[in-house]
Amino acid sequence: MKTLVSSSLRARLTAGLLLGLGLFAAGCASNVNTVSRAEPQAEPNLIADKRVITDNTLANAIRIVSVNEGVASSNLKRIQVTIENRKNSTRTLSYKFEWVDENGMAVSSPNETWKTIRLLGRETTTISTIAVTPRAVDFTLKLRE
Amino acid sequence: MKSLRIKLPLLAAFSAAALFLTGCESTSNTTTIDSKGPESLNTAEINSQDWARAADELVQSLLASSALDNAPAKPAILAVDRVINNTTLSVDTDLLIKKIRVALTQTGKVAVTNTMGLGERAVVAQEAAEMEELSTGKKQKVKAPHYTLYGKLIQQTARDGKKTQNTYTFQMSLIAVKSGLTVWEEEREIAKLTKRASVGW
Repeated sequence: MKTLVSSSLRARLTAGLLLGLGLFAAGCASNVNTVSRAEPQAEPNLIADKRVITDNTLANAIRIVSVNEGVASSNLKRIQVTIENRKNSTRTLSYKFEWVDENGMAVSSPNETWKTIRLLGRETTTISTIAVTPRAVDFTLKLRE
Repeated sequence: MKSLRIKLPLLAAFSAAALFLTGCESTSNTTTIDSKGPESLNTAEINSQDWARAADELVQSLLASSALDNAPAKPAILAVDRVINNTTLSVDTDLLIKKIRVALTQTGKVAVTNTMGLGERAVVAQEAAEMEELSTGKKQKVKAPHYTLYGKLIQQTARDGKKTQNTYTFQMSLIAVKSGLTVWEEEREIAKLTKRASVGW
């Protein structure tokens, strides 16, 4: 009798486990798989960055992987930030780049706007900007959910 | 004492009702928001955030292409050609063009001419040149543009049950006047998915 009960319990546990795994797998349905060159030929100019975190939930969900700096149109600074969604669910993120000139003054532009981006589960993507004036030397990237 | 016992629940009920009614009362209020911020209203149409985003992405694409670096003079003289609005929206295309003009002028790579292109401004500039010519007796030399900027807005609408998707396409081309060749082209899309609310009881 004891054997019968334990085998029935085991069957229920197994069914529960399988159901849980099924639900877990369904939850991962929006995740992204990628493939790329094993030894990249690109040589990004990665720069050191300073981070100020006021929203820990956001910082845990979205990771800043790297900040790449370049030049566009011969004299305009160009920034590309690689971000990663560390969660399995799709997340919507708002971001905005702001520029500062060599005197530390903010450089305003009519196109300086909050942009929205959707990241699928575990997706890594890039967001970028080009300064609209050669006077712009530093940038700040603001992120919010 | 007994009357106090009866009155207390009544008093509590009245207080609760008063609080409830106060809670229901709503007054209209207006808040100043960042027109390009996340708080701006998101509708099926093109909102201020969309205009700014489209303009920014088009400008960034143009700058990244380095098309303006090959201009015969610096800053390159740019004339804004037509921007065709093929959407169902009655919008002023200056909402896009002005942002692009301001950003390109800020780069120092472009000077926008007003002596040709968009009607009203071109007339004013022409009249100013004529007046200058009359007063000084010298024929004003109007600089011919090196490039013209041409744009088009397109709207595509798709429906599936209660869902409607409006896709707005912002197309832009930069044409070298002398050669007539398109030196830069870009297309940006903003898609809006609207779900119609279901009626419930």
